[in-house]
Amino acid sequence: MNHARRHKLGFWVLFSAPMLWWIIVLLVPYLIMLSISFYSRQFPFHVPDFQFGNYLILLQDSQYWTVLLRSVKVSILVSLAAFAMGYPLAYFLAFKVQSERLRLFLYVATIVPLWVSYLLRAYTWKTILGSEGILNSFLMWVGILDEPSTLFLYNEFAMVVTMAYIFTPFMVMPIYASLEKIPRSLIEASKDLGAARFSTFWRITLPLTMPGVLAGFTFTFGLSVGDFVSPLLVGGPYSNMISNVIATQFGMAMNWPLGAALGVVMLFIVLGVITASDKLERAGRLNLG
Amino acid sequence: MKKRLLSTVGGAILAAGIAASGTAQAEGELNVLTWEGYTDPSFVEGFEAATGCKVTPTYVGSNDEFPAKLAGGGGIYDLVSPSLDTTSIMMKAGFVEPIDTSRLEHWGEVYPQFSGHDGINSDGEVYGVPYTWGAIPFMYRADAFETAPTSIAQLWDDPDLAGEISLWDDKTNLYITARMLFGNDADIFDLSDEQLAQVRDKLIELKPMIRKYWASAGELVNLYANGEVTISNTWGGYQSALLAEQGIEMIEFIPEENADGWADAWQIVKGTPNEDCAYQWLNYAISPEGQCGVVGITGYSGANPTALETCKTPEEMAALHQDDFGYIDSLVLWQEPVRIDAYINTWNAVKAAE
Repeated sequence: MNHARRHKLGFWVLFSAPMLWWIIVLLVPYLIMLSISFYSRQFPFHVPDFQFGNYLILLQDSQYWTVLLRSVKVSILVSLAAFAMGYPLAYFLAFKVQSERLRLFLYVATIVPLWVSYLLRAYTWKTILGSEGILNSFLMWVGILDEPSTLFLYNEFAMVVTMAYIFTPFMVMPIYASLEKIPRSLIEASKDLGAARFSTFWRITLPLTMPGVLAGFTFTFGLSVGDFVSPLLVGGPYSNMISNVIATQFGMAMNWPLGAALGVVMLFIVLGVITASDKLERAGRLNLG
Repeated sequence: MKKRLLSTVGGAILAAGIAASGTAQAEGELNVLTWEGYTDPSFVEGFEAATGCKVTPTYVGSNDEFPAKLAGGGGIYDLVSPSLDTTSIMMKAGFVEPIDTSRLEHWGEVYPQFSGHDGINSDGEVYGVPYTWGAIPFMYRADAFETAPTSIAQLWDDPDLAGEISLWDDKTNLYITARMLFGNDADIFDLSDEQLAQVRDKLIELKPMIRKYWASAGELVNLYANGEVTISNTWGGYQSALLAEQGIEMIEFIPEENADGWADAWQIVKGTPNEDCAYQWLNYAISPEGQCGVVGITGYSGANPTALETCKTPEEMAALHQDDFGYIDSLVLWQEPVRIDAYINTWNAVKAAE
């Protein structure tokens, strides 16, 4: 009895602060957002209410669909690009680099850009992709282009490149972690049994790293779909993303109820992606069983 | 023991928080929400030295940010400087307090078109001190055009301009587009849903021609300086001067569709703990020092022509249209749109469109 009470006390001492933190900074704000999404807009602010008009607007006005679809599309492209660059990098680090020190150095070099301000890195891409930027100057110097191309900056391409660059470490880290966990004996066994290199990779290595790949996709998708800086800096007239629209509703339109409704929709999209990746991962585990 | 540690840490954090907020509200500080150039150190330093009131600016890129920032818990600001189409919204929202104009030495010298404007007058009280005014003309790179453009219809019609146009990321694009579609006498501040839809479609039609919507003075200057665009609308006088400093010659023009006119006014945020400093600033803003300072930096025209006579030659006064009351009336001075939500929604629809 006494022991149980002490145990309980210990539990609360240890977990009350994080739980309180979770309630105050996560649960309560989400509930506030949810309730504001039912309020009515009334110039200049809004009034408490319980109606579904804001969600109806989101369904009826095509501008929100357009932006939502664009955000999902861009985020998928960013995730694919980050995967295409991140997987070989992680594979190289985990399997090909023999020296422990070199591997650590390269791993840190991959992650260290995260310590540099996001804004600064996005700005750098502006100077690379611009009409008088580094890429154009190079292509003209080599003779591939006669005059600077405007196709590199202020469009979706520039956004995908910038975000893929910035978010690639989030792809590399989980994939690297899952690659590192693969016992080398499995690879050797596969080779002993006569599997070719590619076959070993396709049937052994890749399936075993799927949890890492899924985690990487979830990270990069979530980060991209919520990004509102790259559209402002390197995006063009067709680059408005859902977070820009939400910021606009809370900002210049002062329509918090509509902004909150959009926030709720986005929350469910991201939750959906997380649930799906969780399900996929479980399914993958069973297959390997 | 653990609990005690927690409460000690918590107490320390709380104490640090109180200390931090305490310094933020110390006497003699002015946190102002304003436009680039409006509190330039070149003329604010004199004010700070004379009054002991330290000015800390935060910049906005469009008028809609003023009410939005204050609605989002903007208790940290003491002064704001929206245009006369937004000052009325600040007033109706209860964000700003009436101003005792008897405390302002130069109040009587301000242009009556501005001091008597509906945007800052309500129930016999004054809610703003006009500071600067000007037009929203268009401008183009002098080296990029052989014949000078005269109408904004050219933006739609001239294929050579594809990808070289920048427009301000602001609802005011609806105004000039509406004048182009419905004539210069159209009631652009009270457009019908049908008219707004036409304006929206027209602006969406222009999107393939646009390189980037600009959101701040600095961004537009960089777009020109980096060779990205050759024509845009502009805060008349300001960005063209910044570009001239970089050796890029810009030509401003008022198109056939006429130009919007604007005037910005300082307003005191309700409940500011720094009211004395705020009044010191209002006084300074329309004094010769303040007016000459801001006009010199921004290239805009000033609200107090008498004050400007102390530093400008008659030729300079003429160039700023400070000698001609009629010029202000020839512009389409911004007003609060009758249905502002519909206007903002229309502009958002333009930006969202594929």
